[in-house]
Amino acid sequence: MSTEAIPAEKPKRNFNALFGLTLLGLLLLMWIVLAVATPSFATALNITNLLRQGSLIAILAVGQTFVIITGGIDLSVGAVVGFTTVVVALLINAGWPIWAAVLITLLVGVAIGLFHGFGIVKMGLPPFIITLATMTSLRGIGLLMTNGNSISINSDPFQAFSRGSLFGIPYLFWMVILVAIPSYIFLHHTRWGRYLFSVGSNAEAARLSGVNVPRTIFMAYILSGLLAAFVGVLLASRIGIGNPTQGDTYELQAIASSVIGGTSLFGAIGSVHGPLIGSFILSTINNGANLLNVNTFWQRVITGALIIVIVYFDGLRRRGK
Amino acid sequence: MTSTAQELHPAPTLAPGRTILELNGLEKRYPGTHALKPVHLAFKAGEIHAIVGENGAGKSTLIKLLTGVMPRTSGEVIWEGKPAALATPHEAMALGINAVHQEVVLCRHLTVAANMFLGEEESRFGLLQQRAMVKDAQKIIDGLGFDLPAHVVLGDLTIGQQQLIAAARATVRGTKFLIFDEPTAYLTRKEADQLFKLIRRLKGEGVTIIYISHRMEEVFELADRVSVLRDGTLVGTRNIAETDEAELVKLMINRSIEQIYHKEHFTPGATIVETKNLSGKGFENVSVTVRAGEIVGLYGLIGAGRSEFVTTLYGRHRKSAGQILWEGKEVQVNSEHDAIKLGMALAPESRRDQGLCLNLSVGMNLNLPIYKRISSNALISGAKEKAEADRQIADLRIKTPTRSALASSLSGGNQQKIVIGKWLAHGAKLFIFDEPTVGVDVGTKAEIYRLFSTLLSKGAGIILISSYLPEVYELADTLHVFRRGKLVATHGFRTASHEDILGQALAEKQEKSGGQK
Repeated sequence: MSTEAIPAEKPKRNFNALFGLTLLGLLLLMWIVLAVATPSFATALNITNLLRQGSLIAILAVGQTFVIITGGIDLSVGAVVGFTTVVVALLINAGWPIWAAVLITLLVGVAIGLFHGFGIVKMGLPPFIITLATMTSLRGIGLLMTNGNSISINSDPFQAFSRGSLFGIPYLFWMVILVAIPSYIFLHHTRWGRYLFSVGSNAEAARLSGVNVPRTIFMAYILSGLLAAFVGVLLASRIGIGNPTQGDTYELQAIASSVIGGTSLFGAIGSVHGPLIGSFILSTINNGANLLNVNTFWQRVITGALIIVIVYFDGLRRRGK
Repeated sequence: MTSTAQELHPAPTLAPGRTILELNGLEKRYPGTHALKPVHLAFKAGEIHAIVGENGAGKSTLIKLLTGVMPRTSGEVIWEGKPAALATPHEAMALGINAVHQEVVLCRHLTVAANMFLGEEESRFGLLQQRAMVKDAQKIIDGLGFDLPAHVVLGDLTIGQQQLIAAARATVRGTKFLIFDEPTAYLTRKEADQLFKLIRRLKGEGVTIIYISHRMEEVFELADRVSVLRDGTLVGTRNIAETDEAELVKLMINRSIEQIYHKEHFTPGATIVETKNLSGKGFENVSVTVRAGEIVGLYGLIGAGRSEFVTTLYGRHRKSAGQILWEGKEVQVNSEHDAIKLGMALAPESRRDQGLCLNLSVGMNLNLPIYKRISSNALISGAKEKAEADRQIADLRIKTPTRSALASSLSGGNQQKIVIGKWLAHGAKLFIFDEPTVGVDVGTKAEIYRLFSTLLSKGAGIILISSYLPEVYELADTLHVFRRGKLVATHGFRTASHEDILGQALAEKQEKSGGQK
């Protein structure tokens, strides 16, 4: 046997799990503290409310994570959410059956993702730029379509969905599970997921290994667009209107959730569970701050500070190895 | 496409000795340069064919054409008797042509196993068979005799180990024709031996191998035939038994070997730096003196403590005991900033990562440490900036079209010169070179050695770290040998034999591996 130092066994994967557990611990800790500190936190009403709040960003964060893993970024998701509330509202009001309206709206999300892929792969634009461009233009297109007005959705069943629940858990949260499980399998147990990591790690190596790098990039942005459109549908159901200015700063919350959840903005490092927990940490902060009567402006400051702290410790952990 | 470990032993379709690949006037022109002039060459199945030449001689171009990374301008490639287009990497791979590159082109965030099967994952019902892949990858690695785990993340391995993985990976893809481009540049001797074993084994299995290296002794150790490229022209192909190093070097550069290790002796002047029983992480009790006008060589295996010693001297790591005397006075070097202020300069081993801003211009790189000097108040003097950069370019004979060319566009050797030039401008007195000629061709090597003389003549002292014995042997006035963190022997200029020095550097390791066999 050789005397070469062989890197320590397994810790890598365990570390990942450990980090996930730490985050989960942080989330639970926040819940316990809030339950003790405020009478209204640990009520069924508040918890379901919290789950509803967190669900939308959680789904966005998963899509965002796919993109970030490839070393990209999708700044457009908030705008896509706003835009697709308009699309789904217009379709439903035009008399389309709900399933068809939702399907078409999702296809709009796919088309937006395709456009991003086209800009990055075929036009050679940096992801930051092309998604920044759609971020502003989509809001503009939405405003043009609605003349700046909100569109009330004339469909009770559509709106009832967001209020409903199954086994005491809101439908909206079930949607997170519906997205998370296939996403997890996709990211960690299929070759396409692996190609996302490989492109983010070393696109040249991936290409030389026969990985279709352009297609992988297309896939990441299409998934992000699709999930953003899905969130648009859910949001429209929740607020009962289509309005292109909805979903403001959602992209930043999604990115923040992803980063808090251990995703590296340099690409190639990320998971599905991390961003999910990250997004619920963020919504717990908002929820808790409201209950504790903390000035809402402080919530933004706290969120920023939390991002710095968590990413700093994550960096320490990575370097410490 | 599911490929598995069953392809561990590729089955060549040709009997050894028959022509497997023939280049018929293969040619590549870029706008403005003729990178490869029409090449006629036939590779025999199962041979190890070395290709040598200076940087820019056309080796990389040839590889890129053969691996389908870029298209040729004209000429034909005949693969197993049939013309091949080789338009994409995919096509080359499908034929069985693979390459192991000098810089590891793998994904460092993925596991070893994931890298081994990247692009050809085993999956069932769309789900990756991760456990099976780790097992198969481990089987392949073990089968090659590499003692490396398949489940760890690639980035956790040393560069040398990653290189071995890259080589292992290239063997499992039905490879019939494998190109190694400077594979040993970052390997320890031991890792290199493992690689050579692998290469010989592949040859035994009928795989044709192109071996590109600057290290002549490797060429003579491994190759059956050798071809020499110079300025994009194939200047000769020899059977290895019928040639020698002197002839090859002459073919490559039209210059004799004595002219490469250009050694001028200067009378040593005052002591610049002295360490007394310096200890730190990875080394202990090292006492070394460097005087003006001399080269102090530090030789040892990678991990023997040489690099740790100099980085501690340079303030990157804290010393745990001992003293550093700078020009006779004890100093505390707590940071690299302190070291630079004293007058030390470190040309790091990995110049791409540590020494250069690749996407800035040559001029900006050269002036980076001296912007304070060429500015008045906050404003940079454009004229001084230009003059300094041009003076350096001329002084060091940096081959660049203009000072505003990007550093990334220069050859490795010329990049090395920029790293050195930076510190020269800053007025450093002690130059530390950590493996300055890794991956650098003979011609540039000669220029770097000549640069040493220039530095010495200006009253500087040099610490030269190298894993390449001839380099320190032919250049160092004082040669210290490191082994396992200790300074184990000291020699004068050419006062010991290669064998003795190698023995001192290896001693313990040899005993160990000897005991096991």
